[in-house]
Amino acid sequence: MTSEAEKILIVDDDRDFVEALSAFLEAHNYVVLKAHDGREGLKVAKMQRPDLIIMDIIMNERTEGFFTVQEIRRTVELKTVPIFILSSLYSKVTDFGIPPNSSWLAHDEFMPKPVNMPDLLEKVQRRMEEHHRNPETPVGRKAET
Amino acid sequence: MKIRKLPKDKLDFFASVVQQFGEVHAPVEQDGKYVFKRLSRWSEARLDYPRTILPPKKYFFPPRETLFQFREGEGYLPCTEGLDKRAILFGVHACDIYALNILDQVFSGKYDDPYYQARRKNVAIIGIDCWPDEHCFCRSMRADFVDHGFDLFLGELGDHYLTFVGTALGDDMVLATGPLFQDVSPEDIDEYKRRSSSKRQGFKLDIEIRDLPEIFEMEYRSEIWDELGEKCLSCGSCSMICPTCYCYDVVDDTQLGSREGRRNRSWDSCLFATHALVAGGENFRKSRASRIKYRFYHKQRGFVAEYGRPSCVGCGRCISVCPVKIDITEVINKLRGVQNAPCR
Repeated sequence: MTSEAEKILIVDDDRDFVEALSAFLEAHNYVVLKAHDGREGLKVAKMQRPDLIIMDIIMNERTEGFFTVQEIRRTVELKTVPIFILSSLYSKVTDFGIPPNSSWLAHDEFMPKPVNMPDLLEKVQRRMEEHHRNPETPVGRKAET
Repeated sequence: MKIRKLPKDKLDFFASVVQQFGEVHAPVEQDGKYVFKRLSRWSEARLDYPRTILPPKKYFFPPRETLFQFREGEGYLPCTEGLDKRAILFGVHACDIYALNILDQVFSGKYDDPYYQARRKNVAIIGIDCWPDEHCFCRSMRADFVDHGFDLFLGELGDHYLTFVGTALGDDMVLATGPLFQDVSPEDIDEYKRRSSSKRQGFKLDIEIRDLPEIFEMEYRSEIWDELGEKCLSCGSCSMICPTCYCYDVVDDTQLGSREGRRNRSWDSCLFATHALVAGGENFRKSRASRIKYRFYHKQRGFVAEYGRPSCVGCGRCISVCPVKIDITEVINKLRGVQNAPCR
């Protein structure tokens, strides 16, 4: 349970998934911001400055998430915000024997879909605590793009 | 042509993401040799291989296939299973891509082959740079560089691949993993040119192909062909592993009394004793010498007349597999009256 209302931005074109995940995170006292494509996600992120971003990769039949993560990292005020990627690509990567958190994108966590909600919550809570302890250097942050 | 740069340490992730365009096949090591096969894990891929046993031709023109079935009352039933399967051939050398471009002319020219064409449409090609070994002579055959016939081509650039985008599909692959690719700098281009020049110096075999059809014309009655006939076993290995040999045999598979059957085709070789055998028992190329001579003349002379260039691409497979060590470069240099010499 968090002591203050932290903001989490969910960027995903699956509206049902966004609603379900929002309800779950709101039930754990997070303020949830929503966007349904990369461009909207970037706009909301710049305006609302979330504490953490949960990002899909394949949106609108394109890998929009890659570009959005890249744009977020290029934005000075969002450079250090933790980014969790939730994508069905996870199985393609891990089934191919590639570590999901190797240095291919400036993300913090890469998790599969369908998501294990308690596992996600635990990782979000841990990351928030780490981020609050040292907001300039997010722990687990991968390579710059 | 669009050119980008891909860090080598991100190639694995690139390969996993492009799986959305088709299952990934690449060279893997098998008993000390290399074969193209579907990857289950990226770590199986061996992109620094010298050459595969069979060329990528097997994906488009398989060693054996059923063309159609026939059944009384139903007529012909085309066998199209698997023709629409999407795949990506990852790590194809320039000479093998050049060979596919040659086969495209054969199977998509005067006589369209729908089976070959369907597979060619559905299998993407990602080429990769290589370094010549003691059997390579693709530079002599002008096949050490390709400017088409691939979706992407990964040129060697040290810690990066200089990535040439050949088709819209290749561009989609780059876009799908966009942040992985970077802009190319003038320094990268200088480095690519330096490596390209260095590779040219790496060839150990050299033949001259200008005026070769004329040399063949003049040497038609040379004793070299009889000497080769004495040596050649007519095993057909050189044809079976050749990336541009396209002879095939067609046989109807039926059983006595049956009202159905299938028409199969399988690779054939002009070195086999039955290749020129016709009804009535006449064989136009009875001797081994006439058969190996025919193979040389078709690839180096007849094909030039028909398509404007030899059908050999200098991959070196025939040299590496021949059990009696017939070396095409030695034969051609002997015809020319010159010794095999390192490439200058």
